[in-house]
Amino acid sequence: MDWYPLWNSLRIAMVSSVLVFFTGIFAAYYVAKLHPVVKGVLDVVLTLPLVLPPTVVGYFLLVFLGPRRPFGGWMLDAFGIKMVMTWYSGIFAASVVAFPLMYRTARGAFESFDKTLAYAGQTLGLSNTYIFWRIQMPACRQGILAGAVLAFARALGEYGATSMIAGYTPGRTATISTTVYQLWRTDNDALAFRWVMVNVLISTIVLLAVNLLERRERRR
Amino acid sequence: MRKKFAEMMLTVAVAISLLVGCGAKEDSVQTTSEEDAKANEVVPEEDAEHLTTDNEAVTLHIFAAASMTETLEEIQKMYADVAPEVTLVFNFDSSGTLKTQIQEGADCDIFISAAQKQMNQLDISADPEINEEGLDFLLEGSRVNLLENKVVLAVAEGNPSGIMSFEDLGSDKLQLLALGNEDVPVGQYSTELLTNLELLDKLETDGKITYGSNVKEVTTQVAEASADAGIIYATDAFSAGLMVVDEATEELCKKVVYPAAILKNTQNQEAAAAFLEYLQTPECMEVFARVGFSKAK
Repeated sequence: MDWYPLWNSLRIAMVSSVLVFFTGIFAAYYVAKLHPVVKGVLDVVLTLPLVLPPTVVGYFLLVFLGPRRPFGGWMLDAFGIKMVMTWYSGIFAASVVAFPLMYRTARGAFESFDKTLAYAGQTLGLSNTYIFWRIQMPACRQGILAGAVLAFARALGEYGATSMIAGYTPGRTATISTTVYQLWRTDNDALAFRWVMVNVLISTIVLLAVNLLERRERRR
Repeated sequence: MRKKFAEMMLTVAVAISLLVGCGAKEDSVQTTSEEDAKANEVVPEEDAEHLTTDNEAVTLHIFAAASMTETLEEIQKMYADVAPEVTLVFNFDSSGTLKTQIQEGADCDIFISAAQKQMNQLDISADPEINEEGLDFLLEGSRVNLLENKVVLAVAEGNPSGIMSFEDLGSDKLQLLALGNEDVPVGQYSTELLTNLELLDKLETDGKITYGSNVKEVTTQVAEASADAGIIYATDAFSAGLMVVDEATEELCKKVVYPAAILKNTQNQEAAAAFLEYLQTPECMEVFARVGFSKAK
């Protein structure tokens, strides 16, 4: 069994969950402070990938990143970087699709954060950066953690948009999900089943880890 | 804190289950319509015939290879004048997918495949080695060879990688080649062709092949320049305005013949036969010829 799809899926999921972790927190922090109207609009835009079919996300990504499109073409001409049909194309797809999970859970956490703690910090002359990293973040770590785990799990399972912008090249762009689909289509049920089990195993481990973390939190 | 975590997980879980719930609903609607279809089958045969002999509205479900999308849509407009009482509903996909859908009981009156294989798999009179499951879905005597197509090598507009022939696929000019999957006719033709050129193994080990699930996907990948070149049908290259640099000879891969047949379970046998007849008229052949099909010999 060629393990490439596992390695590729894991690196795509890890890179995109790190990206989404920071951008999601950043967006959640600033959107929460905005004027209600702007906030409402931005909130819809940032959450859309959660409800749109992945094929629609894939379409938008192709229009943006394709080598014949303005941005994708510019990247290719200026830097020689091809944005589609490479292993890292999967990162774009996974990040966009996983972003709303991080963003929404983080925003929920920030909104339920007791602001008097921040005010108390301000009266002590602490900087906003200090308050954010040392008071707000630890207070919200449950929500942040839940968001990060969900984002990772979603990124690992991304199929639709990935298959559209990364395609299926064995040993290059193949991920677990695209491999399962390919094997199923070509009547290789036995191998498809093994990959399904690998995927179930990873997802179970991720969820167990969340439960363990939660239990440890309870003991504190 | 514990509560917040639980609350958040709950919100997300509810959100997800809502989404999944919508999907499930759609499924159940489909099942009901399939059940309806089954209920219809019980209608006594006389009644069914009565429906088609009159000028009452008839809906024909036609499952056709994805490569026929443009031509059949044009013919659909022409047929509205010939037989206004007949509504044509098309389902375009790879012949492999269509074959599976028919096998699973989808409502279909006419099947047009892009290769003999998928048709044979549904034909009880075909070689049992191909029709392994002994499926008997075709109306006896209705099967015809409708069209011929060509397998070509297409490149994106302007041909930036400078690929000029099938042989060039073995050179460094090529970085990524788009092919159809093994279960798609165009994929089978491509595999045969590349095996004959002794290029398939090399391209696979170099990771230079990306597999699409039908010919339109492969065409789009070339049109978007996601891949440097793709092996598709002459007709798809034409419809998408792609540049064709090479054409497969008969030594490289077998002739591409599109067979058509009426399905045994059809409720509208006469209307289906009439349409299949119409497809073979000079008017329709002209439409087909315009994009690169030729009449099957």
